[in-house]
Amino acid sequence: MSRLSRLQAKGLQKAGDIMIPGDEVLPSFTRSGSIAAADRIVEFLTESDRAGLKGVAVLFAILPRPFVKGLLWLAANANRLPSFLAPPFRELNLGVKGVVMSLYYSDVSMDRKIQGALGYDAKVAGESGDTNVEEAYGRLRAAQSAVRSLSVRDRLDFIRRLREAILAKREWIVDQIQDATGKSRTDALTSEIFGTLDHLLFLEKYAEKHLREKKVPTPPVLMGKKSLVRFEPLGTVLVISPWNYPFYQAIVPITSAFVCGNTVAYKPSEYTPLNGVVEAVLADAGFNEDWIRVFYGAGDVGSKLIDQKPGKIFFTGSTSTGKKIMAQASRDLIPVELELGGKDPMIVFADANIERAVAGAAWGALTNTGQSCTSVEKIIVEDAIYDDFRDRLVKEVSRLKLGVDRDGGADLGLMTNDMQTKIVADHLVDAEKKGARVLVGSEWDRKSRAIPPLVFDGVTREMKVYREESFGPVLPLLRFKSEAEAIELANDTEYGLSASVWSKDLVRASRVADAIVTGNVSVNNVMITEGNHALPFGGVKNSGFGRFKGEWGLAAFSNVKAIMIEASSKKIEANWYPYTPEKYSKFNDLITAVFGSQGFVGFVKFAIAGLKLESYVAKVRSDRVR
Amino acid sequence: MASRIDFHDTIIIGAGVSGSWIADQLTQKGMRVLMVEAGRHFDRKTYPRREVDANSLLYWSGGIELNHDASIGLLRPKVVGGGSVVNQALLDRFDEDAFVSWKKQSGIEFFDQDQMAEWYERAEASIHQQYIPKENWNGNAEVFAEGFEKNGFKCAPLRRAQKDCRYAEGSDCIECLMGCRIDSKQSTPVTTLKRALESGHLELRAKTQAMKLIEDANGITIELRSSTGESSLVRASRLVLASGAIGNSKLLLASGYGEKLPALGHGFYTHPQYMTLALYDRSIRAHKGPFQALKSDDPEFRRQGFKLENVFAPPSGLAMLVPGFGAKHMETMKQMSHMACVEVAIRDTEPGRIELASGGRAKVTKALNAEDRSRRDRGLAAVDKIFNSTGAKKLIPGDVAIGLHLMGGCAIGKDKKTSVVSPEFNLHGSKRIFAADSSVFPNAPGINPSLTIMALSLRAAEVIAS
Repeated sequence: MSRLSRLQAKGLQKAGDIMIPGDEVLPSFTRSGSIAAADRIVEFLTESDRAGLKGVAVLFAILPRPFVKGLLWLAANANRLPSFLAPPFRELNLGVKGVVMSLYYSDVSMDRKIQGALGYDAKVAGESGDTNVEEAYGRLRAAQSAVRSLSVRDRLDFIRRLREAILAKREWIVDQIQDATGKSRTDALTSEIFGTLDHLLFLEKYAEKHLREKKVPTPPVLMGKKSLVRFEPLGTVLVISPWNYPFYQAIVPITSAFVCGNTVAYKPSEYTPLNGVVEAVLADAGFNEDWIRVFYGAGDVGSKLIDQKPGKIFFTGSTSTGKKIMAQASRDLIPVELELGGKDPMIVFADANIERAVAGAAWGALTNTGQSCTSVEKIIVEDAIYDDFRDRLVKEVSRLKLGVDRDGGADLGLMTNDMQTKIVADHLVDAEKKGARVLVGSEWDRKSRAIPPLVFDGVTREMKVYREESFGPVLPLLRFKSEAEAIELANDTEYGLSASVWSKDLVRASRVADAIVTGNVSVNNVMITEGNHALPFGGVKNSGFGRFKGEWGLAAFSNVKAIMIEASSKKIEANWYPYTPEKYSKFNDLITAVFGSQGFVGFVKFAIAGLKLESYVAKVRSDRVR
Repeated sequence: MASRIDFHDTIIIGAGVSGSWIADQLTQKGMRVLMVEAGRHFDRKTYPRREVDANSLLYWSGGIELNHDASIGLLRPKVVGGGSVVNQALLDRFDEDAFVSWKKQSGIEFFDQDQMAEWYERAEASIHQQYIPKENWNGNAEVFAEGFEKNGFKCAPLRRAQKDCRYAEGSDCIECLMGCRIDSKQSTPVTTLKRALESGHLELRAKTQAMKLIEDANGITIELRSSTGESSLVRASRLVLASGAIGNSKLLLASGYGEKLPALGHGFYTHPQYMTLALYDRSIRAHKGPFQALKSDDPEFRRQGFKLENVFAPPSGLAMLVPGFGAKHMETMKQMSHMACVEVAIRDTEPGRIELASGGRAKVTKALNAEDRSRRDRGLAAVDKIFNSTGAKKLIPGDVAIGLHLMGGCAIGKDKKTSVVSPEFNLHGSKRIFAADSSVFPNAPGINPSLTIMALSLRAAEVIAS
């Protein structure tokens, strides 16, 4: 066993935290998650060194912390010990310190902030940023056969190691996400880390089942044949991701494409590149760097990547960029899957639990500061409870804490960039001008990325906040009197990504769910379909197309190949040449038999007609051969 | 074990400097060669990027091996290209002093500057070399030059085997300790080994280790083991051992040559190195630009048996050098960009010994005698003077001694009792087994060995080919 056990890893982490306790800039050894790469050292040690290190690690795990510290102190001062005692302590020092320091400081050399703390910025000419797209993509292409040749189980081995690496590094990753996006810590942890790990676990549990060769029924007319469906890789898949969930939207599509046997070109948003983070966790998990490569840059890099003719483009982002990508892809008929924007409605009937609905509205509209494609952007409330709902919502969102926290105490983080902040400001100004009342948040200076929740009353169809995607912390309230009116308001949009329906009457809720033209609906909950990785995800109308996640998500990254197998024989199929008037008539009889009557009689008729046709075909063929 | 035995004309064990240069010579003469190398074959795009991986993937035993009392860390390359991939490519001819001591030790006449000049010239003609221009010096080189000047020490620009390091574009050669990613460093995978492979006469089996050899009247049979643990046998009429001091000694000892060749494994030297760090108020940024630009060139240092090197270490390596651990260690690490570093390398006089320990491991006994210790201390005193005269506010003596010039164990010489390899580079008593790498060094020259390994290998290749 060249891997460290859980206990051994724990022991090393204990020693690591004594050696590297962390401070305001540098994370502690545990927090850095560097332990994730330990197996990459352990694997290469000599057998006796490995046994020694593992023994020491177990000892560290068992011993109380002061003893571990004492041992490490003795080791660090071995040269002062009597010469007969010194060698084993020197060895302990070099061994443990060697593992801890090389793990930690190799790791932080990839982290910009910590690089800054150390002032270490070594690089090699030509490597900083300006990746040669053609060359790097060529390496992905060349690596296709290697990934294809791995079994799904082999690939899942990498997925499991990736899950472990992300788990170990999660606090560090959350730091990186917060630095890049300004979101609240809890938003980062729950949606990006939890969601990603949950997805990886789904792959580990179900990918083999979904990607296994499937046998499908073969109709009687095709008797003697076997019909199979196989899931093969597409080649190299291009994943272009948005800035709102930079880690989740990287790992989830990358790994989905990878388990299907593809190599992956990944382009993060230029707003939130998370430099080196994806590479770091993939490296920890042992992925070959030619299997998945990250291409940093803006649209021009994306365009160059599309020029490489990937097997598929998986794009998540704005509708306008999606259209551009599809236009370029159409030149080479590259299949695209587009996960675009939304203007998601929430319909609240009077019989809904109002407290839960209010809390759901607040979270659904404000999580990730409203920067989710499935954020609630229209709250459609039944007239009878409208005023009560509005007042409660105002109270609810007024209590929320705004800011970028390091301890999980803030509810709402910042907007990630000024571009989107401007759009929210524009929607606000437009709504006020057209007569909406801003019940909460009117004090916002229209510039700062710290936008408070914005609750709008008196919203009309002419307002941008009604029609356009705001992608910010907005809660526009609308009033309805009948079920038909609620549905009409919900569907009065060019988007169709997700929706929610709130009512005690589940029959009605289900009926309304059917009536909304959209990709995903939650009943008495919000954004919850995304929480189950077995469900598909995707939109209709301007929200894009294609289905991602679940078994459909795996099919999306596969060449779903139909195969029909028949034993080798000299038999000639009835519908092959030659055509004769007599064959025509016998075929006509067969059609009547197959499609005209059902049940046992039908089967007998089919058998007779079939036999006649078969024997005729054989006769014609042998006449010809003669 | 495989039932089929592959037969080869010539087999070379080890794809480092010596193996690559000999392979190049032999294949140029049309000979067919099989080369086996325990390490992997990387190129500029695949060299590891993180220190932790570089340690594991480019060196034996996870990065470091220890001598008998864990007082010296030995860095033994395990990669196609060997030392030429991970070293800093310094090219120095030996001086008269080194050759006089070699001649005395070995009894070999050709160990003098004039007779070796031809081979040095041929080696130098085969690869690009450059001196680092002053405008590219980093703060560490400036401290070095200033300290030498203030103390009246002599230093000189050093010559590196490099083609174009693109300093103007911001290349930092500290990165090429993990393999050069722009093919500037003249490591053998981009020079001699490349040419040998392109000739079509060389087959290179990486990730393959030679375990044992048996010589009979008609040839040599070698047991190989792949990285996945499969054994196979190959046979050759000629064998070149080029896996360095520890590799060659270990293989011969494992093959039972210890009895026949009493000097085998003896006479191991490493030029033990001691790094001292110094903190300055001003920014030094020792990791930028050329990693090394200068060397000591002081006759007095030479007489006293040490040299000083202008070096530094990347973060993980540096963290090992900084003594202790905990909050204080972290604080020191954060001052990395304000650190300068000078290293003492001593010309060690106490011969070490390589033996076979249980489980087939090599046990290396290597101590410092009183003379070696005084050489070290004199060197360290000179380093302190350099730092103290250039405004260092604190000196941090490095915690670990390093041995990375691994030499001897198969000393060359006339006397079968005190040497292993003859002046014709064949093993005493064998017409078929040769060696010309650092394992044949009769003692520590006190000068970087790479260029002399090339020269000796060129000379040996003539003998092997005839």
